[in-house]
Amino acid sequence: MTATLEVNELRKQFSVGRPAVDGVSFAVPPGEIVVLLGPSGCGKTTTLRCVAGLEHPTSGTISIAGRVVSSPAQGILLPPRLRDIGMVFQSYAVWPHMTVRQNVVYPLKHRKIGKTKSTRMVDEALALVGLSEYAERPVVALSGGQMQRVALARSIVYRPQLLLLDEPLSNLDAKLRLRLRDDLRRILKQTGMTALYVTHDQSEAVVLGDRIGVMREGQLLQMGTPSEIYNRPADLFVANFTGATNELTGTLIQRNGTFGTVEIGQGQRVEASLLHGLAPGDKVRIAFRPENIAIGANSGGNIVRARVSDRRYHGTQTVYDIDVLGHRLEALELGTAARHEIGTDAAVSLPRDALWAYRDQGSLAEK
Amino acid sequence: MSALATQAEAAVELRQAGRQRGALAAAWIVALLAILTFLVIYPILTLLFGALTDANPVVEGFNFARVSVANFVTVVTNPNVGEALANTLTACTGGTAIAVAIGLAFSWIVVRTNTPCKRFIAAVSVLPLFAPPLVAGVAWSILGSPRTGLINTMFKWAHIDLRVDFYSLTGLVIVFGIYYAPYVYMFTASALRNMDPSLEEAAEVSGASAFATLFSVTFPLITPAIISGMLLSFIVMLGIYGIPAVLGAPANLNVLTTYIFKLTNWSPPLYNTAASVAILLMIVTAVLVFAQQKVLSGRSYTTVAGKAYRPRSLDLGSWRWVTLGLAVVYLIVVVLLPLFALIVAAFRKFMFIRDAASLFDARMYSLVHFHAIFDNPLTLKSIYNAVEVGIITALAGGALAFAIGYTIHRTQLAGRRSIDVLSTLPVAIPGLVIGVAYLWAWIAVPGGLYGTIWILALAFIARFMPDTVKSLSTSFLQIHRELEEAAWVCGRGVLSTIRTVVLPLASPGVIAAMTLLFVLAIRELGSSLFLYTSNTMVMSVLLLDYYEGGNLGKTAAFSLVQMVLLGVLIGGANWLSRDAAQGSVARSG
Ligand SMILES: Nc1ncnc2c1ncn2[C@@H]1O[C@H](COP(=O)(O)OP(=O)(O)OP(=O)(O)O)[C@@H](O)[C@H]1O
Ligand SMILES: [Mg+2]
Repeated sequence: MTATLEVNELRKQFSVGRPAVDGVSFAVPPGEIVVLLGPSGCGKTTTLRCVAGLEHPTSGTISIAGRVVSSPAQGILLPPRLRDIGMVFQSYAVWPHMTVRQNVVYPLKHRKIGKTKSTRMVDEALALVGLSEYAERPVVALSGGQMQRVALARSIVYRPQLLLLDEPLSNLDAKLRLRLRDDLRRILKQTGMTALYVTHDQSEAVVLGDRIGVMREGQLLQMGTPSEIYNRPADLFVANFTGATNELTGTLIQRNGTFGTVEIGQGQRVEASLLHGLAPGDKVRIAFRPENIAIGANSGGNIVRARVSDRRYHGTQTVYDIDVLGHRLEALELGTAARHEIGTDAAVSLPRDALWAYRDQGSLAEK
Repeated sequence: MSALATQAEAAVELRQAGRQRGALAAAWIVALLAILTFLVIYPILTLLFGALTDANPVVEGFNFARVSVANFVTVVTNPNVGEALANTLTACTGGTAIAVAIGLAFSWIVVRTNTPCKRFIAAVSVLPLFAPPLVAGVAWSILGSPRTGLINTMFKWAHIDLRVDFYSLTGLVIVFGIYYAPYVYMFTASALRNMDPSLEEAAEVSGASAFATLFSVTFPLITPAIISGMLLSFIVMLGIYGIPAVLGAPANLNVLTTYIFKLTNWSPPLYNTAASVAILLMIVTAVLVFAQQKVLSGRSYTTVAGKAYRPRSLDLGSWRWVTLGLAVVYLIVVVLLPLFALIVAAFRKFMFIRDAASLFDARMYSLVHFHAIFDNPLTLKSIYNAVEVGIITALAGGALAFAIGYTIHRTQLAGRRSIDVLSTLPVAIPGLVIGVAYLWAWIAVPGGLYGTIWILALAFIARFMPDTVKSLSTSFLQIHRELEEAAWVCGRGVLSTIRTVVLPLASPGVIAAMTLLFVLAIRELGSSLFLYTSNTMVMSVLLLDYYEGGNLGKTAAFSLVQMVLLGVLIGGANWLSRDAAQGSVARSG
């Protein structure tokens, strides 16, 4: 029922521009949910559509359940309908000229499944997404969230071996998105389907994915569990994209095990985790999260002087802009009270586990 | 004290100015309504009157004593009328079926597949719009006449035991179908473009084959577009005179339009009967136009304005050469073959062709037919007349349409709704019916319009008013209101604003609409038929005369002359308007 997906050296070059997907390889074991995460235009949708067979790859192989479904080199290209996959589109793509039931039963009609059995399967699928009472409604009389549930029911009703989802929640409002996100994980886990999920929303990725693949400009930068992605990002981009938005530049002075001492200017030294193989003398960039800066703390290591230059109160948290040796950093403090005034000088602590040093390959903005 | 007095005076002045402006506005609306009544309502009323009486308008004038529905009923229940109606409905239904098949196929090929040369196919798909129906009819009579037709000659020469006869209902259906497919194409192609391709992709992922997807998702979703394209092509075929006149006459096959003309050509002319049949034709057309408007305004699944979709192009594999082939065949059938036939007939001394070798025998070709037509003084006169009518129509019609469009869309004057309704009314009236109506309206008025160039121009203005108003209106609806308001604030009056702001900005659109009107007017046949006299002969009518005179060579030669003239004019129109107002050339057939 549920199957492995293997993607090997996938490349897709459209008629114009650089390759949309440029040598992506990963595997999704049976029953696992893998989320492809990345900024707009990085090639997530293109990857997903290649797996679906809606886009024809330039090179590389894709196999589902051990069967090669696409391999330009071997001249293999299975059309979507023969791949036994389900797909949920960003725009829902429910058919407006049909009722909810007609939409959901459609895939079964093309699979020669008996009437009683197909009715039962449709009812099950509708129950799973919580739309049992709406079966006979025309889909145009549903809300956006309900339409998306119809699209989901339609794609799982025939229990495909692999489910593909392309930003299924991005057209919904924030609150509904949160609820549907949790429902989605529950439903996917309940059916035990292998799933490939595409999004540019990191919080969605973390909650839904068993593993997350971060993409950029057609390449897969890192694939790992949410915890790996969040605690040991493979490079500056992954760190930045998953929320470690502060950056300091410096030079590695010496290594001691997995940590190293970095000089960040004016003789100021900090200790940071080394996530790349670095040697003393290398230029480095250090990334860290706003949450991990403690203003006014004198313990915890890496104490540096800073000045609070701006403050934005968000109710349950406060964001400060602070100057450290001419760098502007963001710091975030939880709590409903804003504790530091603009213009004050304070010591800040930067715990060494939260500072990740990478080889300096130019700032992200310049790339 | 004195300050108060001046204030009061100013108020009085303001009120007076306001009252004056109100009176002017009322006069303006009344004037427009009067013009529209004169152009549209009066002729239609006289036509209606003609259908209800049996008094001869030329001899007895309007004799209101003899008005009775019985006259209308007698005519409509006449078996000849019944036969013409049946032929009409058969030809239009069959033609529409073919048009839908062709239009739908090409819109799918162009919008949804990876067929090579799609721009070329898109252009070919709308090309027949530019062929005047009469010329197309002439070309197909040269190709498909049962005895001397080029197709049969070729078959005989190649020993293929197959004969075609386009002088038949089948021939009419085929020629209608291939020439009016673009109406369906235009609607369905734009509906397909506006449809989210993931709706089809979802079906494919669900397990449906490309074919099943087409019939269970794509076509049902664009049904409103298919139906309105279908209705429009049906409506246009209903009102066409040229094609059935050419292909139907030899086999004595009448449709409503040709039957109406026959009635007025009888001696003595049966104007009353013609009026009744014209009213019948108008009723059928009006019902269909109403249905089409309903479909257009009804719910549509596909039109999400302004959203751009990821283009989807289905990989057809080697089938894409087949789809390209279809387009090439279509091009050959609607353009190249007819053009070839016209050229052969126009330059060949005698139409009799023994075999293929004789077809390429240079000695058989000469310019005699061209000499013959230009030796006839009527030829140049008809071209001159057509151009004159065209210019009058374009200038007067354009100005009137601008006034109407501006009043409807940019003012709040009371009465603009009725102006809107009156000016769109002609949409539901076939050109030929307008011709008969104008005949009725003016033939009995001594010393009046009948027999002048002006009656033709007025009929054309009325006939093309809805299209002209529409295309002109889009040109100034694009001008932001605030630009106008800025001028008002600067102290400009309404007229001065129009002159200094609206006209300069809208001028490309206005020029385009006028040029279009000019082209439409000089190729119009249906209404000219009833309104020309020997002094006011126009090109399209003279071409029909040549055909009915039985000389195919001269007919073909004059067809080519007209095609070249129209080609130059349409080219010029496109150049003037840059982004061709193709939609409206289309509407009026
Ligand atoms: N049909 C196409 N033709 C040409 N280029 C394309 C086409 N489709 C996508 N691209 C390009 O491929 C790149 C990747 O597009 P893709 O849709 O996969 O991005 P994405 O990661 O899904 O982005 P988003 O989050 O905005 O949906 C983009 O640069 C895009 O411009
Ligand atoms: Mg995308």
